[in-house]
Amino acid sequence: MKKIIPLIVSILILISGLASCHDVPEYKNDPYGNFDALVDIVGDRYCYFKEKNIDWHATAAEYRKRISPDTKELELFQIMSELLDELKDGHVNLSSRFSTSYYRKWWSDYPQNFNLRTLQQYYLDFDYMTVSGMNYKMLPDSIGYIYIPSFGNPISQTSLDYVFAVLYGVNKAKGMIIDLRNNGGGLLTNINTLVGRFIDKPLTGGYIRHKTGPAPDAFSEPYKFTFDPAPAGRIRYQGPIIVLTNRSCYSAANNFVAVMKSLPNVRICGARTGGGGGLPFTSELPNGWAIRFSASPITDPEDKETEFGIDPSPGYAVDCTEEELAAGKDAILDFALEAYRKALGEQ
Amino acid sequence: MTRILKIISLLILLTIPSVSAQDSLPRPVTSSYRIEIGRGEARSTYLSPLKYSGTALGVSGEWQKAFQKNPEHIVMTFAGEMTYANMLNSPATARMYQFEARFNWGMAYRQRLPYNLQFTVGGLLDINGGALYIPRNGNNPVTVLANIGIDADASLSWHFNIGKLPLLLTESVKLPAVGAFFSPQYGETLYEVYLGNHKGLAHCGWWGNNFGIDNYLSIRLDFGRTAMELGYRYDYRSFHASDLTTRRSRNMFVIGIIPHGIGLKNKRKANYAGY
Repeated sequence: MKKIIPLIVSILILISGLASCHDVPEYKNDPYGNFDALVDIVGDRYCYFKEKNIDWHATAAEYRKRISPDTKELELFQIMSELLDELKDGHVNLSSRFSTSYYRKWWSDYPQNFNLRTLQQYYLDFDYMTVSGMNYKMLPDSIGYIYIPSFGNPISQTSLDYVFAVLYGVNKAKGMIIDLRNNGGGLLTNINTLVGRFIDKPLTGGYIRHKTGPAPDAFSEPYKFTFDPAPAGRIRYQGPIIVLTNRSCYSAANNFVAVMKSLPNVRICGARTGGGGGLPFTSELPNGWAIRFSASPITDPEDKETEFGIDPSPGYAVDCTEEELAAGKDAILDFALEAYRKALGEQ
Repeated sequence: MTRILKIISLLILLTIPSVSAQDSLPRPVTSSYRIEIGRGEARSTYLSPLKYSGTALGVSGEWQKAFQKNPEHIVMTFAGEMTYANMLNSPATARMYQFEARFNWGMAYRQRLPYNLQFTVGGLLDINGGALYIPRNGNNPVTVLANIGIDADASLSWHFNIGKLPLLLTESVKLPAVGAFFSPQYGETLYEVYLGNHKGLAHCGWWGNNFGIDNYLSIRLDFGRTAMELGYRYDYRSFHASDLTTRRSRNMFVIGIIPHGIGLKNKRKANYAGY
């Protein structure tokens, strides 16, 4: 009994020690505590410091000097937002009850190359069909046209069946234009659904990595992922495709462009996309503000970086001036239509 | 070491069929059905560094029966529970929901002691599945709670009377010992898992990375045809893998019913597992 009691006591001490040995960092809910939590969360988990040549902790230290114990919420939010802007990343947001920060220069510093009113009035004649957020119409010369302004809503296989049945099954489209201009992204699963309509065998969709720990260079091995063709019975299209892009194609739209560009029958036309290759993570600060940031980089099918955008195919770089758009001329769409006319005329 | 081997040998011997009058004793199933309400807390660094807390609700059931081969000393138990918690972070800016289901099957060695005391010690298979879910998180909205393992459990019961009413006071403790649990990698999104990267999701668990304790203090009031159970449960569980820590706990008040009583009131000739 004399031996058993110390043994039991030792076991209880060991157990209580094990229960508390994985301490979670605690931050005070004050200006410094919230700022330090932000710096640590982003510092540990953000995935593009190396690619963007950012010394995060040195940069953050400069911004920390602007904080005092009396810093008010609004001012703290402004300082943190400015710090986050240093990442030059459209996937980074700080969300409070009164505002959400947003880095806009990834698109605001570039020509827009798109005007929705011009497209609707002069090319679609305000007469087009809409399903699952996709606008579609048969254009002259048997060119099927699909405008996808967002991947925010799920695109169903059934919806795609109708779109493809109208454009390809009934009207026998000889070419297809997929317009992604101003598509800021959304659900990545839409890419699988869409790409499956344009392939007849599994296609490498790209590579994905993730942080394996807080260390700056702690990344997993790249994981190659593939997309499968649409299930049997679904309409597939393997004719010529031109994908229209501008700087406001971001995130999932950017990923879609990267995958489509790898297909031999596809041309990317317009301007370089905005990027957004990092899959965002969400966390939060002691005061309850949410922080969103790129955490898991996705590269293209050749494992090349997509964070900084995808270039148009050679010979397909086109810009629209504001004057042209105001006058009802969409130079990028015109270029794509003309390319089809030439190609079809040569046949 | 020799002492441990002796204990193991004794436990094995106890499960070997023995010819005794006990074999002919009826072995009723002691069923307990419970409703639990209390407060839950959870923190998952995969989702947020903040702790969430709020109301927790649960239903649970436990079925016990004396083992046929050795009804006096071996008790089999099957237990199941489902819990739900609706929690807020401390600044009340985001909500976390917890869903969990747990199943246990085990056997315990029972020893009746003087002064109406009874002691059990044993092991059980512990299967647990559920999730912590923060809707406002985009690509990391869920921490999957999934584990399977072997728990050690022990209990001490004391039978006493208040007037003519028999009562059974029981303190029971379950401690996960070894097993396996699910955890994504540090920065791995659920989308990557969906794409097919399942590498490194399962982790071997031991007290160093998978600690838990389920402590249940109850009192059973045996009215004869039925019994009532009142209790308090403290259930804590933590997982640590891939630089991620998940902890959840609940403090629950329990009320339950045991349809056919626990055999203290009528002194029927039966080998009740619950007592």
